[in-house]
Amino acid sequence: MGDEEEPKEYRWETGYEKTWEAIKEDDDGFLEASVADIIQRAKRKRQTQKTGTTKLGMMRHLYILLDCSDAMSSQDLKPTRLLCTIKLLDGFIEEFFDQNPISQMGVIIMHNKRAEKISDLAGNSHKHVKQINSLNRTSLVGEPSIQNGLEMALSSLKLLPTHASREILIIMGSLTTCDPSDINVTIETLKQEGVRCSVIGLAAEVHVCRQLANQTGGTYNVILDDCHFKDLLYQQVDPPPAAVCLDSSLIKMGFPHQMEADGKEEPLTMCMCHVDSVDEGSKLTTGGYYCPQCYSKYCELPVECRACGLTLVSAPHLARSYHHLFPAANYTEVAFEKQVSLCFACQKTFTETDKQVYSCPNCSKTFCLDCDIFIHDTLHTCPGCATNLSTFQITHTS
Amino acid sequence: MNNIVLKRESNTDFSSTDETSLLVVIFDSNPGQQFLRDNTHVLTHCLDSIIAFSNAHLMQKAQNKLAVMACHSKTSQFIFPGPGKPIDIRQTDGQYEIFTMVEKTIKHNLSKLLGSDISNILTESLLAGTIAMALCYIARMQRIKSPGIKINSRILLVTGSSDSASQYMNYMNVFFTAQKHNVVIDVCALDQHLSLLQQGCDITGGLYLKLPQLQGLLQYLLWVFLPEPPIREKLVLPPPVKVDYRAACFCHRELIDIGFVCSVCLSIFCKFSPICTTCHTVFKMPGPLAVKQKKKKLKL
Repeated sequence: MGDEEEPKEYRWETGYEKTWEAIKEDDDGFLEASVADIIQRAKRKRQTQKTGTTKLGMMRHLYILLDCSDAMSSQDLKPTRLLCTIKLLDGFIEEFFDQNPISQMGVIIMHNKRAEKISDLAGNSHKHVKQINSLNRTSLVGEPSIQNGLEMALSSLKLLPTHASREILIIMGSLTTCDPSDINVTIETLKQEGVRCSVIGLAAEVHVCRQLANQTGGTYNVILDDCHFKDLLYQQVDPPPAAVCLDSSLIKMGFPHQMEADGKEEPLTMCMCHVDSVDEGSKLTTGGYYCPQCYSKYCELPVECRACGLTLVSAPHLARSYHHLFPAANYTEVAFEKQVSLCFACQKTFTETDKQVYSCPNCSKTFCLDCDIFIHDTLHTCPGCATNLSTFQITHTS
Repeated sequence: MNNIVLKRESNTDFSSTDETSLLVVIFDSNPGQQFLRDNTHVLTHCLDSIIAFSNAHLMQKAQNKLAVMACHSKTSQFIFPGPGKPIDIRQTDGQYEIFTMVEKTIKHNLSKLLGSDISNILTESLLAGTIAMALCYIARMQRIKSPGIKINSRILLVTGSSDSASQYMNYMNVFFTAQKHNVVIDVCALDQHLSLLQQGCDITGGLYLKLPQLQGLLQYLLWVFLPEPPIREKLVLPPPVKVDYRAACFCHRELIDIGFVCSVCLSIFCKFSPICTTCHTVFKMPGPLAVKQKKKKLKL
């Protein structure tokens, strides 16, 4: 799964593939180890495709089109397709804003041949999670309409400036779509606007979805089970390569810092974010973030300054996504021949069971498999390079 | 004092025997640090304090774990538990054997490390890399722990070197990893104020302390850094310092208030430049127009 197939070629025309031979039982007769191995290898493969030099669309504007039709009540995912999706989306939204700090997201649901926007494009994860969780009480009726959903998403994505990366992610449980007019026209418009549409199918492959994804440069995948679903969904967290038609610009931003108050207490002030809100009045507080340009106070970041229009972010917000641009170098797999006795990072002693060890091409330190995964999945910094004076900046400059 | 003890008893969560606490102490032994160059035997004083502090940590609970790392001018390494077999220890003066072993191992490995590097070139301490190693070690400890046991990990950094913006990226990566894995990073600054590491403490929920007096190092370590994070909120500790969250620009690596951010790769520049040096994107318009554009975008 996951590999792009040639659209012209039918399944039976490709080579005879013995998929069952890829799965082997382990000593205790379990399959889990071998499935984990397959996932592991796929991960490493994806990892090697990542190179630091590609341009990425970092300011993402993503609409999630969620199918809320009759088909989502099916129980092939436990407890139902919809509840499983809601649960996975919860985690996805958190992770999305964690990795894409200045991006925005919106959610549209498709049911009964209509599209309904349940949360507008916004950069706050709490609101989306709340809306998504309220979905488990909606009635799942009728057929979805992909076209209506796409049109609604497009109407708001159209207004965005040209440097923003625009994306639509469709989660489709139904095998059919009920559209008012020719969907090919919509696909053509999306293609011209440079909106990247990806589809995750919960049932089976549908030609129109494949067409949509192929035309707009997105991905189309059909899930195998809930773990695979999660894997596919989380692939969407990584920012996609920037579209060709994307304009780029430098955006002026402010990095607020707290007032310098040596020794004395900060004065009580009101924040600008709540100053005119009706339901939640502004309170007098000390502390907060001050716009470096006009010294208005805000209690949360990121925000656009109401007084001077400057975008205020904190530096760690931006730094969270730097690792997409400067990934740690991929390690090369070496057969273990007692070159070193310890894993450089975690001090694990290599034994006979370690058939392969991993070595960094820059600092040529040796690591164990677990560290290789940990470093590339989470840490994004090679401990060997980072402790060596001649190599600690390699990832930054190359 | 009574107050604290009472509260500790009421909270049974962290007094249960299934929880252990792993402390990784990172000691900056780089001879290039200003306060070491001024007065070389301060190193011995610091080391003694750290050994006493480490033993105090082990003394708190039998299950507590300890690792000590040294960040030296050219390399970083674990000095406790050191590589190879643990050295043989016989009980001396009725001291608990593990304390003797901690002291002997640390002193033995550190002297080996100090002896291996005799060049006089001044270099910066690559603390971010040392923290990265510590995180890998903590991740392994989490993997190999027996089921049912909870390990609370924290890292204490004792350093006298200055901030280096060139390690910014590595610092941020380790801070966010620590945050994700609930590892608390504490920093004890011996000599200079460290604004980057202060951000790290704030992100991971640790404590930052700029030592007012080097003489009192052990006193401060025992008072501020020995209690577990859940107990700390019940103690009267030095008030938290305001964190400076300014960014360092990519062109000069200086901290800035207002900067320009590339829309493709989020690189930060202190001045408008027509080409992004990081991703080689060509920007099409000068400053004022870009500001106008951004306004449109942020209309929610």
